[in-house]
Amino acid sequence: MTRGPLFHEQTARQRIAALVDPGSFGELLPPPERITSPYLAQLGIPVSFDDGVVIGRAKLGGKKIYIAAQVGQFVGGAVGEIHGAKLTGLFKAAARDRAPCVLLIESGGVRLHEGSAGEIAIAETMRAIFECRAKKVATIAVIGSDIGAYGGMGILSTCCDFRVMSEHGRLGISGPIVIEKWMGKKAYDSSNRALVWKTSGGKTKYLLGDADALVHDDAGAIRDAVAKLLGRSSAVTLKSVKARQKELEKRLKRFGATTDPNDVWKGMGVRDVAAASLASGPEFAAMTRRGK
Amino acid sequence: MEKFAKAFPSKPLAARTAKPWALAGVVGSGNLEVLLERGGRPSGTMECHVETSIPGYKASWLAALADFAHNYPAGGTKVTINDQGAPPVLVNLRLRQAYDHLIKGDK
Repeated sequence: MTRGPLFHEQTARQRIAALVDPGSFGELLPPPERITSPYLAQLGIPVSFDDGVVIGRAKLGGKKIYIAAQVGQFVGGAVGEIHGAKLTGLFKAAARDRAPCVLLIESGGVRLHEGSAGEIAIAETMRAIFECRAKKVATIAVIGSDIGAYGGMGILSTCCDFRVMSEHGRLGISGPIVIEKWMGKKAYDSSNRALVWKTSGGKTKYLLGDADALVHDDAGAIRDAVAKLLGRSSAVTLKSVKARQKELEKRLKRFGATTDPNDVWKGMGVRDVAAASLASGPEFAAMTRRGK
Repeated sequence: MEKFAKAFPSKPLAARTAKPWALAGVVGSGNLEVLLERGGRPSGTMECHVETSIPGYKASWLAALADFAHNYPAGGTKVTINDQGAPPVLVNLRLRQAYDHLIKGDK
């Protein structure tokens, strides 16, 4: 399939380097500046020099962009005060300079150790994303890492104009373990990988229209998908939000009582579920177009 | 949490490096991040700052760092470490990775 390293296995800095024009990345607030969490030490947790997110300017196909990559291995890529402030600032800079902003997500959401500071940071970043969109500055979330995009980061990703996913990526609000804790193992078994991926994985999200592109687990494929979306953005308006709400109500009516995710696939026009399960992301996308 | 700093004698770093700083590793369970920086420091010592979530292993840390300073010309550099319980062998590996990135670049 692909010869390079898999996107989901790369580190945050490797992902950026592989995605943007060679040598074009300039990191903002790099590790030597030591802008670290003011809270973690009090809890006996070591800080990280970048607070779990790498941000900066770069070029993609010669076009100026802003880009961020979360570091999933550091407290699950969770958004603390500094981490969130870096994201907010990046989107604000993107709006100011009218340069598209690309967000490589790998996060379980808000860093609960930092409580309200993390929650507020997510809200401020949302606002900055909407500021971009109001100015028709494209905002693109890439979801293709081990951890996926959950909690506040799942919400943030859906605030962006577009979501590019790999089959490996997962998108949701509550994570699988959280759902199991609340609903019980009978309702949702978080150790059932097929179930988890069929409910929150890239293929299902693409089918439902939550992901705009489904690509190989490869930085080159992701770059190509992102490059196509850089020039496109639309403002969030009351009308667009209401239309989206209607769509979601329809979806809930149609699939709300379904207990088998395969029924959702079939309902969305997948004729051969077994073959679709084994297909690669782009193959799946082609099949489902045929199925519709 | 335990925090300490010490400078170790080391041969001077090469006059030219690919980058002014290099980072290796991630702060995660059983792992650590090493930030290696050059410039503005005495050329005969490697200055080390360690912050670790596991207290009580200062002697092992100092031995691992002294070993590295002895084996590699790292004089004039500053090493800063955020640790979440990495074993000494991993500390050594990350130091070598950071050193390699500093000298040759990230590739």
